[in-house]
Amino acid sequence: MLEIRNLHATVEGREILNGIDLIIRPGETHAIMGPNGSGKSTLANVIAGREGYVVTAGEIRFEGKNLLEMDPETRACEGLFLAFQYPVEIPGVANLYFLKAAVNAVRKYRGESSVDAMDFWDLIHERMDLVKMDESMLKRSVNEGFSGGEKKRNEVFQMAVLQPRFAVMDETDSGLDIDALKVVADGVNALRSPERGFLVITHYQRLLDYIVPDHVHVLVNGRIARSGGKELALELEQQGYALYNEEPGRARRAA
Amino acid sequence: MTAIAPLFSDPYRQAFAAFMAERRESEAIARLRRAAFARFETLGWPTRHQEGWRFTDLAPLQALTLQKASAALIDAAALPELGVAAHRLVFINGRLAPGLSSERPLLDRAFITGFSQALPRDLDLIAPVLDALPGLQFHPFAALNTALWEDGAFIYLPQGTVIEEPIHLVFYATGGDMAVYPRLLLALEDGAQATVVVEYRGQGRYLNSPLAELQLGHDAALHYHQVQEESPQAFHVGGIRVHQSRASQANLHLFSSGGQLARTDLEVLLDGEHAGCLVNGLTLGQESQTGDYHLRVEHAQPHGTSEQVFKSVLNGQARAVFDGMIHVRQHAQKTDARQTSRNLLLSRQAQARSNPRLEILADDVKCGHGSSTGFLDPDAEFYLRARGISLTQARALLVHAFANDSLNRITLTPLRDRLARLLAAWLALDSIEGN
Repeated sequence: MLEIRNLHATVEGREILNGIDLIIRPGETHAIMGPNGSGKSTLANVIAGREGYVVTAGEIRFEGKNLLEMDPETRACEGLFLAFQYPVEIPGVANLYFLKAAVNAVRKYRGESSVDAMDFWDLIHERMDLVKMDESMLKRSVNEGFSGGEKKRNEVFQMAVLQPRFAVMDETDSGLDIDALKVVADGVNALRSPERGFLVITHYQRLLDYIVPDHVHVLVNGRIARSGGKELALELEQQGYALYNEEPGRARRAA
Repeated sequence: MTAIAPLFSDPYRQAFAAFMAERRESEAIARLRRAAFARFETLGWPTRHQEGWRFTDLAPLQALTLQKASAALIDAAALPELGVAAHRLVFINGRLAPGLSSERPLLDRAFITGFSQALPRDLDLIAPVLDALPGLQFHPFAALNTALWEDGAFIYLPQGTVIEEPIHLVFYATGGDMAVYPRLLLALEDGAQATVVVEYRGQGRYLNSPLAELQLGHDAALHYHQVQEESPQAFHVGGIRVHQSRASQANLHLFSSGGQLARTDLEVLLDGEHAGCLVNGLTLGQESQTGDYHLRVEHAQPHGTSEQVFKSVLNGQARAVFDGMIHVRQHAQKTDARQTSRNLLLSRQAQARSNPRLEILADDVKCGHGSSTGFLDPDAEFYLRARGISLTQARALLVHAFANDSLNRITLTPLRDRLARLLAAWLALDSIEGN
């Protein structure tokens, strides 16, 4: 469902991604791990279409369509979701209103009518329970004054409401205590299905105890240095990223 | 340039002489007009060399040959409605149109009427209080208004009178380079309370130069709303004077979206202990509109509170000017005064100038001011787009969030709702729900 081929990208003229190849099929959960500065978040932002991230070579296809030609809102309407590493505070826009605008934007894109108020309310309540969110958060401005944990829960809540086909979780575990981590992981796990794909980006193995991936990739210097099963995460936990500094990328290119 | 420019006041001098020849009114009022006209001639037409007019470009107005206001018929559908029962006075080209107005029963001794409808003995009541408030002494257009007003609204509530129904004053101008000088005189005696909505609208090109005088007695309370939706070619150069006695409260909401040039000068004198004043301004500007506010809030007595919050949203090459002064006299201890000016620029060509100022002569006060000007937060834009919301709608949502805060301070619900719809239309949003 997501095919990344030979992806190169620069940020402010600096090359961050140096040829990424990655294929994710429906129902699969992939984890990308890597040291700081390896390009993990850049990959997430390039997939979501953030300005300032320039793709210099390669392609990304989503359900067979050229993702890089789409603006961010079209990507979202096509069923792509990015859970932000740093969710943005938007004073004056209530969470509930924001969600409804998002749901209706996606429905409009699909040629459907606006969501029925009662159906929307039912959906909201069902999904709120999933991430154990308090109803008061609906009335509050988007992420404004939310704690780190609340912000991340709000991301998962939005994902649960929007029900994307493919989601990128960008360091959703950072800044979470173990209880919040479990809530977030439970939310993600509840959404896993044979039709839905996930790309979970994390620095630490800890999250992968709760969201167990089908595949793990190690990103170093903007390139996937190694791929494997879920056991690779454990290996990294024990050995750290030291082994991957510099050489693996070069070796892979030679091969 | 070989021709010698005529004296600036020449056309005005003739106009004033012709105007006075037609008026049939008391000597007291005629004297007031002559004095005001003399003041106008002394002050002269403002130039950009004067500090207070540096950013107000009057050249396009000055180039016009302004015409005397005349009567006109207009379609009642062009006039704004409040949507609730109201005391309503409609002025067309500065004159009361009784057919379009609707009066409601009032208690004895209370007045809501046009100057032109007032009986001679009531006019005698008006003359001593007209132009009696301090403030705007150096404002040429305020002087011009006093010299040339043809009609105006007179609102007088005796002691303790509380009027629940809003007073809706509509001033409509029909263009043709006409100059209109509508007047508003409002006096609330001790403990009186009123809600007033003043609307400025029109079609074509004209100068609207209104002057409002608002006098609040002890413990009086006023909710005053000025909704400026002049035609896109219009010039609006107006003034408001407010005088507040002990423990009175004035809440002034100033909304501005019309006119090619719209300027309001406001002076508030808190002249009694525990007097409080809120000024809540919202300006929407697009194309080459200029929205301009100059205000002075003077704390003359202890324990006064004042808050001024001015916001502008500017698109195209629009400009906003905010020049605000809080002056705290030496005697006015325990004053609590705050002032903020926030401008949101939607285009690179839009410009905002903010000049919040404080002059504090008392030593035991709480005063603060701040101003900010900036563009929409690109991170917030991306966040909304990443959820499927189009760029246009994302920007509209963010602007709405910025401006709606000002509208939420308006407690007159039908007006607030109407302005919210106007804001949504301005932002080209399909719909905005309360949030």
